[in-house]
Amino acid sequence: MQRVKTGLLEFLFAPSTDTWLAVLRVGLGLEVTLYCLSLRNDWTYLLSGTARRLAEALLSLETHFVPRLGWLTSLAAQLGVREEKVLFVAWVCLFAAGCALLIGFASRVAAIAAWLLHLCAAKSGGFVSYGIDNFMTLGLFYLMWSPLPDRYSFDWRIRGARPKHPELLGFWRRVLQFHLCVIYFFSGLTKCLGSGWWNGSSVWRALIRPPFNIVDPEILIRWKYLFPVAGIFICLLEITYPFFIWNSQTRKIWLVCICAMHVGIGVTMGMYLFALVMIVLNVAAFGPALSRMERCTASLQPHKAVS
Amino acid sequence: MRQKNVYAAWFVLQFLLILSFSCRDTFRVVAEGPTILPRSFQNFSREAQAVLSIALAQKLPAGNPVREAVSTYVYVAGIETGYGYFAPNVPGSYVLVFEVHYPDGRIQYELPSVSSATAGLRIAGLLDSIGRTPYDALREILVKTLAQSVWRKHPDVESVRAMLSSVRLPTVREFEKGKRESYEFLYAYDFSLQNAPAKTNDQ
Repeated sequence: MQRVKTGLLEFLFAPSTDTWLAVLRVGLGLEVTLYCLSLRNDWTYLLSGTARRLAEALLSLETHFVPRLGWLTSLAAQLGVREEKVLFVAWVCLFAAGCALLIGFASRVAAIAAWLLHLCAAKSGGFVSYGIDNFMTLGLFYLMWSPLPDRYSFDWRIRGARPKHPELLGFWRRVLQFHLCVIYFFSGLTKCLGSGWWNGSSVWRALIRPPFNIVDPEILIRWKYLFPVAGIFICLLEITYPFFIWNSQTRKIWLVCICAMHVGIGVTMGMYLFALVMIVLNVAAFGPALSRMERCTASLQPHKAVS
Repeated sequence: MRQKNVYAAWFVLQFLLILSFSCRDTFRVVAEGPTILPRSFQNFSREAQAVLSIALAQKLPAGNPVREAVSTYVYVAGIETGYGYFAPNVPGSYVLVFEVHYPDGRIQYELPSVSSATAGLRIAGLLDSIGRTPYDALREILVKTLAQSVWRKHPDVESVRAMLSSVRLPTVREFEKGKRESYEFLYAYDFSLQNAPAKTNDQ
């Protein structure tokens, strides 16, 4: 029992450099910034009025303690500030947090602010949220707990700040790695349960379904024999991800294939931000381990690499 | 060492929650069907989904402290749902068309419009929620929210009729034979500037 426990702890707290954390910080900073820019003209429309209040009321049936924009608007209303102004300030703060993460300025505060404000927007806009919001929430959640700043950040290089617990770098990376394995396994499993992914009809439907129909179906139809192959490939790639991503010999293939799949989704279905967040999470979790230098640094001098 | 044990305990708890929510949603997919599994799996999946919901405190009454604590944590960590995107099969979509009536008798047709493709994806998600909800009152409120934007854009309109249809996508074979996407009318709501509830016309 003791050996199992020791083995588990060694696995969970494996030495790691902070390269993965830099990838996660910059990637999520870019994601948050682009998320804000892409919604800047529709931010108030999507997050104000009845739809927001209804989404928050439904959320309250589950829990009263999840942060939401309604808290800010109610507080501001007592001070005579209008809802539109509060939403604008929230947008500006989220955008600023995204930019700060991108360069690594006040990394921890920026990560907490980005997580909090994005969570407020995602939960208050419950009816207009989709998968990307979950992945951004979990990515930012892990980022804000990780030992920031990393050595590529403004905080490290200019302000001379150092993480308080660099020994936890490996732990938070393991958390992200495990979470991705669960995500892909269940995503693949549920796809395997539908006949459409085996005969290719789901690939066809996904590509012609509004609003993802950005490629002309007349062009798509020329590739119809590839749809079953693509469907089966996606199912197998996802469901086998947890088994092949850990092996150093197959990791590169699976990581490249998964990233290529997300690039494909982004290009052919217009889900650019969704593709970006998935690629960022994958590259942060498993990308740095592909580098020979990273492996050597991590195994020889775990603490020197980060402190 | 003590700190490591605390982190390891949190790790185990976190992954039990992630696995439980993922399993629950997978069982829901099987229970709701259709899947490639035999129908006999549906009953088992329904029961397994119920058991997991109980284990995750989701069947406790709203306001129960345990349920609130679990829900709060899974929401803030972003782990409250499973990961069955576009699964087991890709569902159809919905379209909402506004018939805008002007006082001079003119009629104009509009779609819910947003400024960017990213926001468009979110509106599509909203339309899916409107189309799939079994609650008439919720559907009406959400349609009304979208209709209000038409009013803001054209303050001089007399009334707005919102028509919700489901989109039927052609199969590859149907597409080759010349068939294109078709629309099946589901509901229509008439809104005027008075605060009276909308008149509903079902299919």
